[in-house]
Amino acid sequence: MPYPSNLRRAAFMAGIAASALTLAACSGGDSESESSASAGDVETAESIIVGTTDKITTIDPAGSYDNGSFAVMNQVYPFLLNTPYGSPDVEPDIAESAEFTGPTEYTVVLKPGLTFANGHDLTSSDVKFTFDRMLSIFESGADDGNGPGSLLYNLDSVEAIDDVTVVFHLKSENDQVFPQILSSPAGPIVDEEVFAADALTPDADIVAGNAFAGQYVITDYDQNNLLSYEANADYQGLLGAAITPIVDVKYYAEESNLKLDIQQGNIDVAFRSLSATDIADLREDENVSVIDGPGGEIRYIVFNFDTMPYGATTADADEAKSLAVRQAVADIVDRQEIADQVYQGTYTPLFSYVPAGLTGATESLKELYGDGAGAPDLDKAAATLEEAGVETPVALSLQYNPDHYGSGSADEYALVKDQLEASGLFTVDLQSTEWVQYSKDRTSDVYPAYQLGWFPDYSDADNYLTPFFLTENFLGNHYSNPTVDELILAQATTADPAERAGIIEEIQDTVAADLSTLPLLQGAQVAVTGTTVTGAEDTLDASFKFRYAALAKG
Amino acid sequence: MTTPAPASSRRPLWARVPVISHLRQSIGLQRGMLIVGLVLTGLFLLTALLAPALAPYGFAQLRGPDGAFGATQPPSAEHLLGTTQGGYDVLSRLIWGSRTALLVIVVAVVASILIGVALGLISGYFGGWLDRVLVVIADAIYAFPSLLLAIVLAIVISGGQSSMWGGILAAALSITVIFIPQYLRVTRAEVIRIKSEAFVESARVVGASHARIMIRHVLRNSTRTLPLILTLNASEAILTLAGLGFLGFGIEPTAAAEWGYDLNKAVADVSSGVWWTAVFPGTAIVLVVLGLTLVGESLNDLSDPRLRKRAVGAEPVEDLLDPAHATQEASA
Amino acid sequence: MTTTSDAPAARAGAPRAWAKKPGGSLGRYLAVRALLIIPTVFILVTTVFVLMRLTGDPITAAQGGRLPADQLAERIHEAGYDRPILVQYLDYLGGVFTGDFGTTLSDRREVTEVIATFGAATLELAFYALIVAFLVGIPLGRLAAFHRDRWPDAIFRVGGILAYATPVFFAGLLLKLVFSVWLDVLPVAGRADTRTELTLSRGDGATGIYLIDAIRTGDPAVLGNVLQHAILPAVTLGLLTAGVFLRVVRTNVISTFGAGYVDAARSRGVSERRLLRKHAYRPALIPIVTVVGLQIALLLGGAVLTETTFEWKGLGFQLSQYLQARDFVAVQGIVVVLAVIVAVTNFIVDIIAALLDPRVRY
Repeated sequence: MPYPSNLRRAAFMAGIAASALTLAACSGGDSESESSASAGDVETAESIIVGTTDKITTIDPAGSYDNGSFAVMNQVYPFLLNTPYGSPDVEPDIAESAEFTGPTEYTVVLKPGLTFANGHDLTSSDVKFTFDRMLSIFESGADDGNGPGSLLYNLDSVEAIDDVTVVFHLKSENDQVFPQILSSPAGPIVDEEVFAADALTPDADIVAGNAFAGQYVITDYDQNNLLSYEANADYQGLLGAAITPIVDVKYYAEESNLKLDIQQGNIDVAFRSLSATDIADLREDENVSVIDGPGGEIRYIVFNFDTMPYGATTADADEAKSLAVRQAVADIVDRQEIADQVYQGTYTPLFSYVPAGLTGATESLKELYGDGAGAPDLDKAAATLEEAGVETPVALSLQYNPDHYGSGSADEYALVKDQLEASGLFTVDLQSTEWVQYSKDRTSDVYPAYQLGWFPDYSDADNYLTPFFLTENFLGNHYSNPTVDELILAQATTADPAERAGIIEEIQDTVAADLSTLPLLQGAQVAVTGTTVTGAEDTLDASFKFRYAALAKG
Repeated sequence: MTTPAPASSRRPLWARVPVISHLRQSIGLQRGMLIVGLVLTGLFLLTALLAPALAPYGFAQLRGPDGAFGATQPPSAEHLLGTTQGGYDVLSRLIWGSRTALLVIVVAVVASILIGVALGLISGYFGGWLDRVLVVIADAIYAFPSLLLAIVLAIVISGGQSSMWGGILAAALSITVIFIPQYLRVTRAEVIRIKSEAFVESARVVGASHARIMIRHVLRNSTRTLPLILTLNASEAILTLAGLGFLGFGIEPTAAAEWGYDLNKAVADVSSGVWWTAVFPGTAIVLVVLGLTLVGESLNDLSDPRLRKRAVGAEPVEDLLDPAHATQEASA
Repeated sequence: MTTTSDAPAARAGAPRAWAKKPGGSLGRYLAVRALLIIPTVFILVTTVFVLMRLTGDPITAAQGGRLPADQLAERIHEAGYDRPILVQYLDYLGGVFTGDFGTTLSDRREVTEVIATFGAATLELAFYALIVAFLVGIPLGRLAAFHRDRWPDAIFRVGGILAYATPVFFAGLLLKLVFSVWLDVLPVAGRADTRTELTLSRGDGATGIYLIDAIRTGDPAVLGNVLQHAILPAVTLGLLTAGVFLRVVRTNVISTFGAGYVDAARSRGVSERRLLRKHAYRPALIPIVTVVGLQIALLLGGAVLTETTFEWKGLGFQLSQYLQARDFVAVQGIVVVLAVIVAVTNFIVDIIAALLDPRVRY
């Protein structure tokens, strides 16, 4: 069977460059027909075991806003709109149609005759219930502050016209992001006969009530230890029926245990997360396949425009000098060295704000900084600083967090410090702080420059721009550019895809010149499977949703 | 300290210095264990003191004259013990790490002894409500998860920052809090035991003051059992520092070298055949704890007349054994 | 301190006076000792509550990387974490007194359910570890004493120290490498295979103690799988304790051997071997009871690291997970339970000590 070895080669290539990631995603889409076709003739195993280091907060959509919980929801809940295999863009899932019927009216028509796995009808009433519930729990604090209700910022009210028609009344007009929101953690549709309207429903009750209507249902639920899924025959949505009837998912706390178990064949698929060293080692292993896909995770340095060297509130405030300092950092940082040395190719250099693989992504910083081809240029950095009249070496305080963005952070920032200091232009005071304190400090102007990372809520460029670069942003770094504000608001309401992509590119170019943040790396999604397992390449796409339904074992 | 003290009937002063006197008392394997312990501990101290001279590179050095060291390079001539996954030289971090370990031990032990013994003396000697309150609190702390305490202290001391002194103080002080009850219990128990014995009464009859009684008799006798706890205390300090590193509260690798931090970061590599990053710092921790514990146990045995095997005079226990029986037991 | 100068002398006599009439005083001692458990637990609950609040709130821990500062503050306010700490504390105490430990924040479970589920796993591991400790520590301690100051003694003792000196995660890693990776005879982690675990959890009236559940299935393959998974964690944690047992047994055998009544027996012509077996060994076991009690606390502490290394999903494992999530509700609940266990154990140990040696009472 030559298929796996081809795949391994493709996967290996994909790890080399960011541009190849999109190729891998495309080829993944191509091979989908192949594998699903072969699924019919070739006998596939009755069940497979998936291993993960994810953590589940709760499988009640109103009560969690994290990757681990959302990974489960993607298997068992239906969405009005969803991303098909191989694409970042949304299409109707259990809906027949979804479109703007007015500037602030988004109308969704459900497919007829939908049911939950427990036999309850899935109607517009459930949809209205789902979103009303999400908002009311979010506002009352009944989610203990953990819910994703903030994503529904533009939702005013939901109206059920008839059994299959729902109208979403929005606050601002022509919100092009709203369809994406319906595929985000705020979007799973729940059963009004099982879920409580104003409080979180315990996981045990959800499982007992069999309130599922996605590709799978959960039959055994031992939280953060062992979940057992069974294919849901009633699912009629976009993604098609699951190939493997039974999927068991084992939850690990230690990456090394997950690695040893996949290596020894105790599990069939390992997805999220393995250390860079482990993945490098597994690539050499004949008994497993390492599959790479585009990743939505980005890692970057935030500059605080008030407190960084020559920042607005420092004694020697000077906007031009402050910009020169940021530019010099951008010139010196060697992303490839970090990606190779610290992450052994599990991360790839990121030269813009929207990661490669998403519609509208550019490489704005590549031409602007360094040698113009992605490598550093120390002379250019020195010239930039001198031109602005900045005295060297510049003293820069840099903060990172060691316990939230993976264990590579310490090595990553040690290397950044080393690169900056080796240039002779900077002296870096590198500090690290535990996560909770870090989260408070970063928004209180304590850190002049600091590390952050981002996982997207939905696969749209907007999710990498709006939260970051509007004047009112979650970074709180005092960056403000009226042009950028205008452009960001414009892209959100531009219906024409090509025109919108153009605006998104313009935003990236503008911010790249200002350097509000300095993007460093983009994470790849890496799954490791046994050699007879197929389908992982189909679901490792830019939707960033890993669907067990695509997996099969020959 | 080699000049003998002029005192006539007493042994020379240098021979009465604790460790040396113990060494002189010991014979056979007991002496062997003590010597091994002392050698290991001595090596550790020497390494810590001479770190700048011994280490080939700085602990946070990533590149030499020929460019970057590279990550997870196997042992070679340039890097005798290889490099870590972050690209540091393993040997250099091993050597520099002994300094951090020593600092943690010193702070933890000094603080624990001072507070624990003092509270134990007061609690045992004066008794009453104070004693009860202290014992209740000690019991409560005994049940306290040290990890939690260490984390909280890390946050309180340094605002969650992983600076060198923040990490050292967090590990040392959380161990101090955990060990105070142990010193307290031991000291207190000894005080209560000795208090009722005749020689204390007689000292009182002779008119010795309270302070004198406490220091001369009670304290001296109480401390007989302390070496063991002391070495446990030192070992736990190292292990706690390692645990803190594991949870991301350790010391920033560019601020100081720390074995526990390196070991924890390396654990994941071992399963991929990268053994040198974990084995060396792990072994360093084991050897230092082994050395300290050997010294502590030996001193404990030698101080305890029931366990001491004396060089002359008394009959060692196994001499009473029928050799035939002894071999039988061993083979059984 | 002059006013209290006579107190020690008076007090020194007191224990002896108690010891003269053991019946009544022992009862009183028991009562006092039992009552002391309450303040012990109370102190712990309070300390943990205050300390956990110092480490920050769970909302920042979960959402600090996504939400703007004002939204974060709003969320914290909605969840009530910005109320005065005293109000939160009284709120919590009120819950605890009515048996409501709350719902965990990081995985939305009843704390009581968490304790019951994971407590069973920890209990099972502690049980295995104690067996290992007994099987290894006591015979070797005895051997060490018999061969005192000869090679077996030195080897066993150094072995005991090594078991203690090796960080649990390092030892666990080496064991895993040797037995799971190179020899491939034992599983890497977990309490059972995925399939086995499903079989066990689907059984009627599952206790959560896999050993019992596996025996009840009557399937030798299931039982074998469960026992296989238990070997490495049990050995790792057991050896840690075995070192302590070894030391205590050795010390006590040696010292009772030198005691007067052994001399007396010897003079009656009792054989040396019988002397060791009967007269020195048996009395030496009594302090073991005390040590076992004290070890419970250490076992629970060691269990955190052992459970984490081997993914043995027990209370220790959960505690470290909850700590990282700043889930104070869960941490408080677990710590209270651990505190009660340790306090009760200490109580029992003190009772035994008091029965054995009246001077201990105070």
